[in-house]
Amino acid sequence: MSSRRLFLSRLGNWLALALVTLFVVAALAGPRLLTPSVAQRDPFKKLPLPPGGEHPLGTVGGSDVWAGLVLGARDALRLGLTVTALTAVLGVALGAVSGYAGGLTNAVLMRLTDAFLAFPAVAAVWVIGYVLVASSQAGEPTSLTVLMIRLRLSPVMLALILFSWMPYARLINTTVTRLKREAYVEAARALGAGPERIILRHLLPNAIAPAVVQAARDIGSMVILATAFAFVGVSGESSQWGSLLLSGRDYVMGAAGNPLRYWWTYLPVSLALVLFGVARNLLGDGLNGALNPRQRY
Amino acid sequence: MQPQAAPLTANPDGNSPSVSPAAPAVLRFALSRLAYVGVTLLVVTGTLYALLMLAPPEARAALYVPPNVRIGLDPAIMDRRIEAIVREHHLRDPFPIQYGYWLWRLARGDWGWSPTLRTEVLGALAQRAPMTAELTLYSMLLIIPLGLLSGAWAGWQVDSQGDRAFRALAYLAASVPAFILGLILLSVFYVGLRWLPPGRTNAIDVIRIAGSSFRWVTGLLTVDGLLNGRPDITLDALRHLALPAISLSLTHVALVGRITRAAMSEENAKEYVIAARARGVPRRRVLWRHALRNAIAPALTSLSLSAAQLLTGVYIIEAVFNLPGVSSLLIRSLQQVPDLPLAVGFAVFSVLLVLPVMLGLDALLALIDPRLRASGGPDE
Repeated sequence: MSSRRLFLSRLGNWLALALVTLFVVAALAGPRLLTPSVAQRDPFKKLPLPPGGEHPLGTVGGSDVWAGLVLGARDALRLGLTVTALTAVLGVALGAVSGYAGGLTNAVLMRLTDAFLAFPAVAAVWVIGYVLVASSQAGEPTSLTVLMIRLRLSPVMLALILFSWMPYARLINTTVTRLKREAYVEAARALGAGPERIILRHLLPNAIAPAVVQAARDIGSMVILATAFAFVGVSGESSQWGSLLLSGRDYVMGAAGNPLRYWWTYLPVSLALVLFGVARNLLGDGLNGALNPRQRY
Repeated sequence: MQPQAAPLTANPDGNSPSVSPAAPAVLRFALSRLAYVGVTLLVVTGTLYALLMLAPPEARAALYVPPNVRIGLDPAIMDRRIEAIVREHHLRDPFPIQYGYWLWRLARGDWGWSPTLRTEVLGALAQRAPMTAELTLYSMLLIIPLGLLSGAWAGWQVDSQGDRAFRALAYLAASVPAFILGLILLSVFYVGLRWLPPGRTNAIDVIRIAGSSFRWVTGLLTVDGLLNGRPDITLDALRHLALPAISLSLTHVALVGRITRAAMSEENAKEYVIAARARGVPRRRVLWRHALRNAIAPALTSLSLSAAQLLTGVYIIEAVFNLPGVSSLLIRSLQQVPDLPLAVGFAVFSVLLVLPVMLGLDALLALIDPRLRASGGPDE
């Protein structure tokens, strides 16, 4: 495959793969790297302990930083993959169907897509959380609650899915609108292929590349956003990194004159997140270069 | 997709674009943008209300509980009260009717009463809005010029040393999450060097401002300081805004810069640039007068499309720096306490904050690029 060779020919892409491997290994092997006692939170030891002994990276707020980092990688990847997969499916389906239908349907659906761009996901988290609690208290669980429990979705994840599918829809829509007039699509239709077959077998394979690049970037963005939400205090149940950073924040401010006095409370997590961001951009750009060679940035 | 409405009023290549187009085109542009905002508002609030309707009507009655009534006194009385609210606000009617009544209530300025804050929701939000607006404004003032200029400069000399430096820096800036950057800046400039403080004002100024002599006009501390003849307060407010605005804008400067760079390198290869150079127009003049105007649209459009993400960033940065903006409601009024009026108010208000940013960017774009004024708006 030429695009694979193109991808592997660049040094930055190897770095991206190395970083991704690092995070995946941490996520998969995570619990085995830790002794069970270390991962437990001791709420009575509030003062941060410096690195050493049974805490290789020290503690903050009673929890072990190393354990939080490793277990956080697991949370992060699960969240990133779940949210991105569902977002991409939603956006791609909408963009493809609307583009294939064309005409008024397409115009209306694309206006809707643009309107969704004006909604900040963080604003919906709270409302979604309330709705979930309220509908589960009401006795009979709704289909949404059942779905969310099945997929282990938190309100943060649902908010991210509901309000980040728009780029996929726009990307796919543009390409499908252009491709559906090509002769090979016409030929398929003349041979009696139905709309589903044309979309799935003929249009999507040719239109999917930009969406793949977007998804590669989004896995990282979603994790960083979710961590930021947890850091801000929007329901932090699904981000170890966010809550670690939240406890670390007080020690950035608290150490008078010397910000490095309690460095282990915030630097390791910050570094992990920066590396996550670097991996996201390297991977996205690398895939972009390999899959969309004609695009310049 | 976009309606082929009006003929282009300007030379499409931007060579000496005519700056005074026909008035109807401007009017049509303004009207189409306003219609767009209206539709957006309806779609987004409609979606929000549809989400809300997943909860049973009795739970949604919490939106309309009047001031100082505590839910959960006597179950029998409470049930009757809730039933009354459900009837009064049509909470069992079909979606369009419920939504209409809800929206009408919001439009009248009745956003409900927050049990956790013990105030009117709209008042609480409006009181904190200036801080958020100020941070957004100053970030935009950093993002747009810095992003456009650096990107244009790098894109004009692709693969030069300056371009490589720009690419490396933009890469780094785009990779560091804003709140991590904020935390690091805070530890260096506030804790380490003690140059710049967090929060909105100094403790002494808080007392001075609370005094009767300081008149609030716009709510923006930097502007009101000047209007009150108190440049010291403006200066102090700017000092407090510096770190948050920088940490918020750096990522976006990098993104805008990268897009402008790509657009600029494309413009550089076009024939009108070569023609202008052949006529003896200085390189510098071709760059700033001719090519930049044409390369601006993609960057500003992408910024306008990500206005919601920008606001999310503003909220996060407010939390990092302890700024008393709109997001302080999100943090302070603990999530565990159910406060539906505040949650819904916060969501609607956030959309209302995003729209002016989008509109402002569109207006800026129309000022710079006359083609958009003619065609009715940036579509792609």
